[in-house]
Amino acid sequence: MSATESITARRPGARAWAVLIAAEARMVSRDTAGLLIPFGLPLLILVMNGLGSAGQTTADGVGVFERYVMPVVLTIVIAVVGVVNMPSFLAFYRRTGVLRRLAVTPANPAMILAAQLIVALVQSMIGVAVGVAAAMLFFDVGLPERPGTALAVFGLASLTMYAIGMLVAAIAPTGNAAVAIGLTLFFALGATGGMFGPTENLPEPLAAVGEALPFGAAVQAVGDAWTGAALNPSHLIALAAATAISAAVAVKCFRWE
Amino acid sequence: MPVIEVRGLRKTYGDKVAVDDVSLTVEPGEVYGVLGRNGAGKTTTVEAVAGLRNPDAGTLSVLGLDPRRDRARVRQILGVQLQDAELHSALTVHELVRLHRSFYRGGADPEELIDRVGLTDRRRTRFENLSGGQQQRLNIALALVGRPRVVILDELTTGLDPEARRGMWAMVERLRDGGVTVMLVSHHMEEVERLCDRVALIDKGRVAAVDTPAGLIARSGLDQQVRFRTAEPFDTAVLDRLDEVDAVRLDGDQVVATGSGNLLHAVSTALVGAGVTALDTRFERATLEDAFLTLTGSRFDGEA
Repeated sequence: MSATESITARRPGARAWAVLIAAEARMVSRDTAGLLIPFGLPLLILVMNGLGSAGQTTADGVGVFERYVMPVVLTIVIAVVGVVNMPSFLAFYRRTGVLRRLAVTPANPAMILAAQLIVALVQSMIGVAVGVAAAMLFFDVGLPERPGTALAVFGLASLTMYAIGMLVAAIAPTGNAAVAIGLTLFFALGATGGMFGPTENLPEPLAAVGEALPFGAAVQAVGDAWTGAALNPSHLIALAAATAISAAVAVKCFRWE
Repeated sequence: MPVIEVRGLRKTYGDKVAVDDVSLTVEPGEVYGVLGRNGAGKTTTVEAVAGLRNPDAGTLSVLGLDPRRDRARVRQILGVQLQDAELHSALTVHELVRLHRSFYRGGADPEELIDRVGLTDRRRTRFENLSGGQQQRLNIALALVGRPRVVILDELTTGLDPEARRGMWAMVERLRDGGVTVMLVSHHMEEVERLCDRVALIDKGRVAAVDTPAGLIARSGLDQQVRFRTAEPFDTAVLDRLDEVDAVRLDGDQVVATGSGNLLHAVSTALVGAGVTALDTRFERATLEDAFLTLTGSRFDGEA
């Protein structure tokens, strides 16, 4: 049985990971329409608010830009990338047999999930960098009062959005369905979470619900961290709970073909 | 040790029996055909060999390894071309070959492989912009990129034009010359007859017969026949007494001798011996398709 003994397993190494991540990055960057919203919408919101509310302060004296506009802009980036774009790729890969094809190579299809997550993270970071740079350059917005806290809170919010994205990828039968489900979720969470204006303008119960949902909770927590206010634990709990529930359902429902 | 061994494979989806009871053994270096109608269980069988399906019953081994338990080891030596599996749509030919090459310890040179499947002038074309035949050729390249010792090709030439098809056949012949064992799923009779050393006929989830293509034809018991005409009438008794000849009949001005063995040679020799000159001699024999129909007892409907 020497013929058999000479066959050794080998997990794809660092080079395979690098090639795969580059491949996923190419897939994402060549999907021009998919790049428009995560990079274009935040800038649009930034400019529209900049024309209206640059330099204004809220009743308690903090800048409107720091308290609301920047958190909304940054949350849009991670929500679009995590909830809409990433799952559309994964659902498309499953639907067209890309995952099945990968399952007969030494690579595990789970590698694609990981590579997509990494690319989504990089895409989010670019979107955030563009948004923050534009705000600092044109609207005189400063860095967060507590940068470390802001970063940690934002990291948690990103994780939440990716978990929701995995859930969308798990339940969507096709790439198009993933876009439809993802966009619906994105606008529902966004509308109740302050994407189209301060939640104070919403009916009280709706605003309360919105603040407990991932988009609203992210906006509030990032806003607190940016302006140096005390964090409200309920926002962090809301994000952590959404992450845990979405991830658990995604793991249970995810199909490879 | 056989390269692929399947024993008593059974696989059902709900109450639909995809594979009822399939056993087969593929020996080193052979091109082994799996022939059958759509829905006969061919693809389920090879997908089980590839480790994509968990059988309900039966055992499978590839070079002595279990395709599911020893998954990681089997993946290094088994190349698979799947039916209907697409690739990353926005990646180019070159990028896809490089990507799949990176999964294996050793393997083919990407440029050389792209050249071998005739896609050099398409190497910067995205998968989504390739023609069906080009996509198929790329799929085959990816099955070979890890220099596998065993290759499963599922509907190798479906969607290819005749020229590309012949190119693929030449490639399979080169694989065999290089000592690679090939399991070829097909419903293309000419392909199976030309390439396969042995063929398993799969019918309704079971193996109906295993033999060489010629052996299957012989086994089907279908006659050969020699058809000719002569300038002058002659006594057909010179043919009737040959062992190879079962019957002689007249069909218009033609004589038709049916039989077995080395029929054409026997008839020609007898005619020359009797001083009879045969004109327009045609030799007809049953094809693999005829044998398939006989051995599985119903009409072949491969393109359905």
